[in-house]
Amino acid sequence: MLTTIEKIVFVALALVSAGFTVHGFKLIIDSIRKGRPAPELKNVPASLLNAGVKVLFQQTIFKARKALSAIHMGLFFGLITYAFVNLFDVLEGLVPGFDLVYGGAHIPNAPTGLINAFNLIADVMSMFLLVAITVFLIRRFIVKDKALDYRENILLNPKVKAGGQQIDSLIVGAFVIMHVIAHLMSQSYRLTNGAYPFMPIASFLNSIFGTSETGVHVAWWISIGWVMFIIPYLSRSKHTHFFMAPVTLGLAKQNPRGQLDPAIPLKVIEGQKFDPGAKFIHDLSWKRALDAYACVQCNRCQDVCPMNFAEGAPLSPSALEVNKRYLLKEATFGSHPDRLLLPLTETVISAEAVWSCTTCHACVSICPVGNEPMADIVDIRRRMIVDGAELDSGVQNALQSLATNGNWMSKGKRLRGRWAKEMEFPVKNATEEPVEHLWFVGDTASFDERVIPNTKMVARIFQQGGLDFGIMYQNESNAGNDVRRVGEEGLFEQLVEQNMQAFGKAQFKQIVTTDPHSFNTLKNEYPQFGGKFEVKHYTMTLLKLFEEGKLTVKNKLSNYKVTFHDPCYLGRYNGGFTAPRKLLEMLGVEFVEMPRNCENSFCCGAGGGQIWMGKVAPGERPAENRIKEALTTFGESTNEKTQLFIVTCPKDMVMYSDAVKTTGNEGKIEVRDIIQLVAEAVGVEEPVVAEAVAA
Amino acid sequence: MNIVVAIKHIPSIADDLPVKGNNVDFDSVDFVLNEFDEQSIEQAVLVKEAVGGTVTVVGVDVIGELDNVLHLALAKGADKAVKITGDDPAADSHQQAKWLAEAIKGLSPNIVFAGVQASNDLDGQIGPMIAAYLDMPYIGGVSSVEVSDHTATVNKEFAGGFGAKYSVSLPMVVGVQAASKPPRYAPISKVRQVAQMATIEKVAPSGGVSSGLSFKKMAPPVVTGHAEMIGGSSKEVAAKIVELLKSKGLA
Ligand code: SF4
Ligand code: SF4
Repeated sequence: MLTTIEKIVFVALALVSAGFTVHGFKLIIDSIRKGRPAPELKNVPASLLNAGVKVLFQQTIFKARKALSAIHMGLFFGLITYAFVNLFDVLEGLVPGFDLVYGGAHIPNAPTGLINAFNLIADVMSMFLLVAITVFLIRRFIVKDKALDYRENILLNPKVKAGGQQIDSLIVGAFVIMHVIAHLMSQSYRLTNGAYPFMPIASFLNSIFGTSETGVHVAWWISIGWVMFIIPYLSRSKHTHFFMAPVTLGLAKQNPRGQLDPAIPLKVIEGQKFDPGAKFIHDLSWKRALDAYACVQCNRCQDVCPMNFAEGAPLSPSALEVNKRYLLKEATFGSHPDRLLLPLTETVISAEAVWSCTTCHACVSICPVGNEPMADIVDIRRRMIVDGAELDSGVQNALQSLATNGNWMSKGKRLRGRWAKEMEFPVKNATEEPVEHLWFVGDTASFDERVIPNTKMVARIFQQGGLDFGIMYQNESNAGNDVRRVGEEGLFEQLVEQNMQAFGKAQFKQIVTTDPHSFNTLKNEYPQFGGKFEVKHYTMTLLKLFEEGKLTVKNKLSNYKVTFHDPCYLGRYNGGFTAPRKLLEMLGVEFVEMPRNCENSFCCGAGGGQIWMGKVAPGERPAENRIKEALTTFGESTNEKTQLFIVTCPKDMVMYSDAVKTTGNEGKIEVRDIIQLVAEAVGVEEPVVAEAVAA
Repeated sequence: MNIVVAIKHIPSIADDLPVKGNNVDFDSVDFVLNEFDEQSIEQAVLVKEAVGGTVTVVGVDVIGELDNVLHLALAKGADKAVKITGDDPAADSHQQAKWLAEAIKGLSPNIVFAGVQASNDLDGQIGPMIAAYLDMPYIGGVSSVEVSDHTATVNKEFAGGFGAKYSVSLPMVVGVQAASKPPRYAPISKVRQVAQMATIEKVAPSGGVSSGLSFKKMAPPVVTGHAEMIGGSSKEVAAKIVELLKSKGLA
């Protein structure tokens, strides 16, 4: 179809375009490789293949925004179709006689059926692409969907602030529209024999614009010319995600969610000494740089971030990725390599934002391309701690107390087992006599007066169920989950050592814990320090006692209407969704599910050291929002049932009891630990203690 | 500038204090650094950072576990650590002050910091006694210190929110109530690193003194009263209080 001169021009342009593209991606890969080593991946080809399949079916995007995701899926298939369309357009241009219209009528032995089918798909997809892109452009530029914005107090790269992302979207949006229209026109101008049923849209256009040889050439050049411009451009725009997303997904973390990457890479590189954590961008592992290139900038992570939600906190996981991206881009393609030498807290995320993350993992779980913004935040904290950055006074006190007392509440070690000594039956000391279940109680459940009654009730129920259990009394130290997530890696290691020593003294078959945070680190991180134990959350142990008939429900609790809050470190981190729900079902309560449940549970705001913070961001707190969600879920109370908010984490007990008070909902909803319901159903009561009478 | 900090390792009061005979049962209590000494270490390091010099931390090793505390001080910015092998958990303030003063003498300090008090030295004797032994002036209740040449400018706090600024020519002993900035956090990785590398100088205790006092009896305080929270509206609360006062024959 093309003239010789046109062919020469095409090949020349194609070479230039390919050159720019290769160059662009080489720069990107170089900048990614400057990062530190990441934990080793196993079986990379298989996981890449797996990721490819996920991308093909667009599985990961349907975790949220279902309608938009469906359009995105169509867009994706449209673009895949267009990859073939362009290939054939080029072939038609270069190979004389190669022509797919009318089912490839001029090609000898052409598979006419196949060609017709392809032509039909391409024709219809063209129309769909136009619609889909228009929807996305309307969403961004006319409706101005708030979800694509960042709040004022969030640190943003100046280019992003000035609308860099918008320009990107506009260019690529305009490209798709022009490209598709040009392709459609080139097809329509070629229809010499009138309407072709497998190209309804091109046929319709042909009925208006007619046939034109010059038209074919012009439209072809516009259509393919655009492609030759846009491909190198993509490497420099946010749409690198087309190429990088499958790669990131394929190289995503293989270790358990609940196991943080080490503060210093395990891989030894000769002549290189790493400080813990990250101050500059290349202190992060190469995967974190890859994250930036893969980021779609969809802001889904920001949507689910509990601290972004809390108005006063300047945290946005997507802003973090976008800033990283612009920082790398300005260094690789622009004139600002010097900015790479600025601390991350000045270029990608403010120190205040770093300290407001609850490490709830929501951002990581929701991300369609498998990014881990949370990992950056923990690494930045790690380095700040080592560099002696000024800490929030509450966090500092907690760490200080953890270092000296092994708990964050400034209580003496010996007080840890005091609640057990007050029990009506002896609670075994697991470091002195063998037990089957070593109960790791955790700080809040051991020391907090508001939670101790529940702790005692757990002991009574274990006793009732005939469980052979013991605690470690003063030998237990805080497990270190939140210490590690605050970034105090050295203290975490010290606590692990202390606990490992204590475990060494004890004889037990498995660990049961009332604290999801301890559960997470004991289960996922202690193995790296030689502590390979079977670890259970108490809801799992309780369920087993019921299933084995060792506990039986005497009173069905049909007078309660309850909802359940999944604690991040039990649910999202460790998939412990079913045990608590099954328990509630057995107890006979009326159960309603909040909209944000299981994998999408909404963090209470206490994790990652937030509970220690002396200074809290103003505005509605996540726990308050959650209580409101529960009340909305219960709806207008039409029956006489007592409405309960059920928790399975001592920190939740504290957080939500406060939130019920601060939102003024006392009397409407009550926070209870699941153990309280179990006790009521099983018929175990607190022993009556004679109250001291005032003298 | 030769800066010296005198510290105390004391029984923790985070636990209930166990009593044995007529003293604390030292075997079943944890020992911690006196919290005012944390402040004075910080103040000493701040002075060093401002004017240069070395900070030497000195303490009596009453139970053989002072190393941990000294490592922490080194991690926070002290340069040298000295422990006096006193090895007597019952050593009282008089005795400790004497031992400390004897050890400090040899360091020829320009300024000595000590915590203004401790939970086992509530009347804050250690600082003034050290000053007396060293024949230096003493100011306690201090909440900030600035040093230039041979003079220290200190802020002393008084009750009722009053404060006063003093200029004192060095050498002197300062009883620190609070450092001018909150004590910094020493990351454990650094503390551990210091613990591996640092050498702690050992000094034998010299000079026995006695306070002239002896314990007759030690016992936990007897709880005599109790508090009751009265709930309800302010009217109800007021009525309750009136009723209570009447029932006790006070109104
Ligand atoms: S881990 Fe949770 S709090 Fe932290 S950035 Fe992600 S969503 Fe936000
Ligand atoms: S990190 Fe993931 S979820 Fe967040 S904006 Fe980027 S692609 Fe979207």
